[in-house]
Amino acid sequence: MAQKFEVSGLDEYKEKLESLSSSGKTIIAMFSGGKDPATGQSWCPDCVVAQPVVDKAVSQASEDFIYVYCSVGGRDFWKDKNCVFRTDPSLKLKSVPTLIKVGTPQRLEEAQCANPKLVEMLFED
Amino acid sequence: MAARTLRSVFTLRSVAAASSAGSLLCKVSNNVQPLKQNSFIYNKFVTGIWSSRKSFHHSSSRPTSESAMAPVGLPPADLVEQYIKQSKVIIFSKSFCPFCNQVKALFNKLGVKFTALELDELENGDAIQEALFARTGLKTVPNTFINGTHVGGCDDTLNRHEAGQLLPLLHVKTHDYEYDLVVIGGGSGGLAASKEAAALGAKVAVLDFVQPTPLGTQWGLGGTCVNVGCIPKKLMHQAALLAHGLQDSRAYGWQTPESIEHSWGTLVEGVQNHIGSLNWGYRVQLRDKNVEYVNAYTTFVDPHTLRTVDRRGKERTITSDKILVAVGGRPRYPDLPGARELCITSDDLFSLSHPPGKTLLVGASYIALECAGFLAALGFDVTVMVRSIFLRGFDQQMAEKVADYMERQGVKFIRGAVPTLFEQVEEGTPGLVRVTATSDEQGTFSDEYNTVVLAIGRDPCTKDMGLNNAGVTLAKSGKIIVNDEEQSSAPNVYAIGDVIEAGLELTPVAIQAGRLLARRLYGGATKKMDYQNVATTVFTPLEYGCCGLSEEDAITKYGAEDVEIYHNGFWPLEFTVAHRPESDCYAKLICVKSQNELVVGFHIVGPNAGEITQGFAIALQLGATKQNFDDLVGIHPTCAEVFTTMTVTKRSGKDASASGC
Repeated sequence: MAQKFEVSGLDEYKEKLESLSSSGKTIIAMFSGGKDPATGQSWCPDCVVAQPVVDKAVSQASEDFIYVYCSVGGRDFWKDKNCVFRTDPSLKLKSVPTLIKVGTPQRLEEAQCANPKLVEMLFED
Repeated sequence: MAARTLRSVFTLRSVAAASSAGSLLCKVSNNVQPLKQNSFIYNKFVTGIWSSRKSFHHSSSRPTSESAMAPVGLPPADLVEQYIKQSKVIIFSKSFCPFCNQVKALFNKLGVKFTALELDELENGDAIQEALFARTGLKTVPNTFINGTHVGGCDDTLNRHEAGQLLPLLHVKTHDYEYDLVVIGGGSGGLAASKEAAALGAKVAVLDFVQPTPLGTQWGLGGTCVNVGCIPKKLMHQAALLAHGLQDSRAYGWQTPESIEHSWGTLVEGVQNHIGSLNWGYRVQLRDKNVEYVNAYTTFVDPHTLRTVDRRGKERTITSDKILVAVGGRPRYPDLPGARELCITSDDLFSLSHPPGKTLLVGASYIALECAGFLAALGFDVTVMVRSIFLRGFDQQMAEKVADYMERQGVKFIRGAVPTLFEQVEEGTPGLVRVTATSDEQGTFSDEYNTVVLAIGRDPCTKDMGLNNAGVTLAKSGKIIVNDEEQSSAPNVYAIGDVIEAGLELTPVAIQAGRLLARRLYGGATKKMDYQNVATTVFTPLEYGCCGLSEEDAITKYGAEDVEIYHNGFWPLEFTVAHRPESDCYAKLICVKSQNELVVGFHIVGPNAGEITQGFAIALQLGATKQNFDDLVGIHPTCAEVFTTMTVTKRSGKDASASGC
């Protein structure tokens, strides 16, 4: 099973990547709308649908993978056109959920993240 | 065809009003057959929206063989069964019903042939509707059946399609092979065909494998166009256009510094990142559409059996009912010392890790000229070695114009010469290669270049595929001989794209041919690929766009007397302030006098020729005459408007050079 980490915000995400850079493993990052502390659920309905699909793929992935869950924060923060997750040149996120294989052009967006066939493919090779 | 013998009432009606908005349905009522006295069954066949005018006339001129023909005098329940049995797709419909039109529009959009039985136009329509109610519990129309399976009404049909469960009903497996269709080659054509076939319910796999170049360059899924062709070429062309824009900018008041550095590394990185995202996108699409992707090299064992070997040497045997060969081609290496070791091709150039430096391009194909064009604009010292003519197969006057412009932009041409030897002078990135060549004029001569790009032609990748094991006949060129339905000499083996003999080596042609083939194989469609009047563009710094015949071919086909050529030089407005030359851009129309000046050739050298030609190509496809071009009102100020005001014929010998606004 792939190792799992959970971070919140761009700074924490970058720090985490930095600390994992020497691991030599393939990092899959999931960007998701932040969770409501009361319910434990993301404000983003697509993220809620995708999460179990992603979790299942992570549980089946080999140890060559590291999974980083990153909360992009609250709805208002994310919806801002200048949100750092949208403007960061290495991310340029357009939607949540987004799954990326760090350092590659491989990414899945929105409903694709809830498609088990596609999520599994991201965890291949 | 039995209907043909009946003395039937034959009506042809336009149903634009009855059909759903925006769809260009052509509906043909025919095969009208007496059911009982004074009543008729209208068997309506509705062709797909992608049908050309030609096929419209075709289908209206004779009854279609797909029409449901129910025996006379059956009880309604039995009639319904007959219709369901006889039609792959049948929609019990009413001609005025908007929901019925929605369903018909869906099948049209999908390119699936269907029969629509308009109950409101049948004397026994009510009885049939009752029988349908008894059979399906559905009282309303539309009521759709596919291969005998009851799909249901409008929402049922649309929802089922939404869930991806409609088209699979079309396909009834009639064989014991693992796959319905295996596509060899994951290029534009193969991907398009595989996705279309899968969407129509076929079980499909794509086998793709890229043999590394001698230099070791490899790439991902998507074929030549995406990885080492159109896409990187056009992006590098854009880099070249920006260089020209930077020069012009000063005349437009920008204080652009005189010396601006270009970073080859940044360009390659940007281009390759985009390609990487496309490679991934194709894998996502295949996976999403349930097309299996196998990254392995494939050879034929027999017409239905393939053996694949993957990168790790793992073998697998795959069987398939039908096989589509879409393996494309690769650059040709001349049989000369040092060619494979010291030279590169377009397969390597777009991902070259270092700036190419002083570059020689061997060949005068569009690939050679396009690469020479953008490299020169990026500031490299560029020479092109040309054996005989530029752009073989293209209009030669236009080809010379393209080359003349490039020469004025600093590209050096060595004409009438061929290389004989490549020798390494220095290793490195880039290294140095001495090229020895001969020409009638200069005898033997040599020069040194950092990079030598071979662009002398492309060969089909059919050599080691075991196509003879499948009984596939190859042409002398090594390409696959196919009939007008892209079928090879082995009836279950098809081929599309660059690999077919007498085809057109163009990505959109392969895509179109692949889609149409899949629709014929799995969607009951009949439309064939039309290889006429396909527009194309050479993306040299000044683009050359064309559609239809070259001047040479028009004269061969119609005779010089019957060909009228209108031509005009033009000076794009944006060139004026920038003080660019007045004589670079040129347009011509080739017309057939005896056919009301039908335009059979369209040619333009100028900025954005690709964009211009694409739009005008539909005029040629629709059979436009010179008068139609004259009647067209231009958009001012544009380059394209030159085609609306052409008066000077070549025959007149009058001056056709650019004039002011």
